[in-house]
Amino acid sequence: MRSKFEIGFIGITVFITLLFFLVIGSMFLIPSFDGFLNALFSEEMGFAISLTLYTSVISAFIVMIFSIPTAYTLSRYDFPLKSIFKVILDLPMAFPEIVVGIALLMFLGANGIGSFLESIGITFVFNETGIIIAQFFVAFPYAVKIMYSAFEGIDSRYEFVSRSLGYSQLKTFINVTLPMAKNGLFAGAIITLARCIGTFASVLFVGGGILMKTETLAVSMYLNLSTGDIDLAITSGILLVIISLITIAVMEKYIDNSY
Amino acid sequence: MFLEVKDLSVDLREFKLKDINLSVEKGEYLVLIGPTGSGKSVLLETIIGFYSPDNGEIYLNGEEITNIPPENRGIGIVYQDNMLFPHMNVYENIAYGGRNKIPEEELEKKVKDLAKQLKIDKLLSRDVTTLSGGEAQRTSLARALIANPKIILMDEPFSALDITTRTKLRAIIKDISIHHKTSFIHVSHNFNDVWNLADTVGVMKDGKIHQLGTVSEVFSKPENNFVADFVGVSNILKGKIVEIAPDVAKIELENGTIISSSDTECMSKLYGQNTKNNVYKDKGGENDRKDEINDDNKVLIAIRPENIIFSKEKFQSSARNQLKGKIIDLIKNGPNILVKVDVNKVIIQGLLTANSADVLEMEVNNEVYLSFKSLNVKIIDKYHSFEL
Repeated sequence: MRSKFEIGFIGITVFITLLFFLVIGSMFLIPSFDGFLNALFSEEMGFAISLTLYTSVISAFIVMIFSIPTAYTLSRYDFPLKSIFKVILDLPMAFPEIVVGIALLMFLGANGIGSFLESIGITFVFNETGIIIAQFFVAFPYAVKIMYSAFEGIDSRYEFVSRSLGYSQLKTFINVTLPMAKNGLFAGAIITLARCIGTFASVLFVGGGILMKTETLAVSMYLNLSTGDIDLAITSGILLVIISLITIAVMEKYIDNSY
Repeated sequence: MFLEVKDLSVDLREFKLKDINLSVEKGEYLVLIGPTGSGKSVLLETIIGFYSPDNGEIYLNGEEITNIPPENRGIGIVYQDNMLFPHMNVYENIAYGGRNKIPEEELEKKVKDLAKQLKIDKLLSRDVTTLSGGEAQRTSLARALIANPKIILMDEPFSALDITTRTKLRAIIKDISIHHKTSFIHVSHNFNDVWNLADTVGVMKDGKIHQLGTVSEVFSKPENNFVADFVGVSNILKGKIVEIAPDVAKIELENGTIISSSDTECMSKLYGQNTKNNVYKDKGGENDRKDEINDDNKVLIAIRPENIIFSKEKFQSSARNQLKGKIIDLIKNGPNILVKVDVNKVIIQGLLTANSADVLEMEVNNEVYLSFKSLNVKIIDKYHSFEL
């Protein structure tokens, strides 16, 4: 027999979960199945899917490369202004994604370093590189946050022991720290990938939202809603939900909670 | 000297180690004891190289290692919670310790030999998370030993183990210490580790070593009241030396009671060679002595409760000290009873077996005689008294 406390808390959880399920499920209330299939196999959707996956995988990889040492540094070492470093890295999570987009546009555009980059033949805005940069800046703070928690959860004495056995800091990091943080690393990689796939506002600003050029799934949804092409918009939304579902399911399946 | 720590200071902001000096010979077993937060673990982790000292030097086998990274020091460490790598099984954990030192073809044999010696040879394929406390600690010890360290540091290795496992592991470690001539520094809260393992003992408090010496030195002759209290000398009494003869000093307690002490070694330390000479010259010359005996002669004396003999009547004995008092409390302490006696407003505690207490009809408010030998009255250095 459950107590009133348990029944109350379980009731709230069930209510909220059902609410989320209904809201997400509404996305699948497509006007017509034929319209959905036509949209799914259209050239535009094919382009949006491949561009989204291609840029997101690259962004997620770059995010992981930089977020691992950053998170480890914040977790293990003390240095001046450390708390300010943490605030700066957390900041993009707190303000709207559109602000990241505008800030990146300012930095990479003509008012920032854009003129200089253009003079040496490099353009970072309104192209695929711009999309990757936007995805990186949006996803990086999340990855650092998850990885930081993973490293914080590992007692540094494991590393002490490894070093006392003759292993350098780098070898200890590879042999002990990374394998012990594998759950956090895996979760971080999945969340990062999902975040990169779903990035919208900053990708729209930095990538320019150009049809069949910088049109990711999220941007495609927005562009087609603007032009009234509901089938394409909803199909983009459904694909985003399916991709997210797969990533979360993979994460749940493979994360080993034994330690 | 095999390991030598000279004037070592470490400032970790929230905690400091101050002017640590210690030395360990090859094959010597040093046990560090002290209350929680006294800096024992920080000292171990500084010796192994995880904290950089602000001051001082560490020498190992004649080589200065103060600024050498931990991986090049050749010092092993075993923690209370064993710190076995959860992503490796027992074999892999042990082998990890030797993998970068021993050729792969010899490694397997070495792991198996060591596992056999530590009686974990049947566990080699086990997941470390399924091991009992004792098995995990043996694995941890094997991992440290396979790297053939010059010295092993152990941070409360037995504190999470039951008494039987602890006893077995002590025997194994003692055997390793003797047969492999491995030096150990072992942090512990358990005096049984001291009795069973230690050649020398260090007593720490507030980041300082208060006394370092052989087991008998530290337990029978604590250098200050903190050490005395920590090692279980519960009678620490304030007094003043009022008479010194070649073999005995008389100490007047605050209540006027006179106690005799034959702790002559400490007397000479307190008053120096000069006083020692004077004592011999002025044997019986009481007038001369009075010039020297003043308020500066205040001391603390320590008497272990187990050295006090109780009797209902005054009796003839070789004990120079016989005091009469009234029992104010009887506290059961395992198989023993701690008897608190009020001797003219000074409380003295003695230890009796429950059986003896019955025979002597020990009851609160009964009068009792306490006898103790002057040899068992230790004078604690007056210059090193601490708030307990």
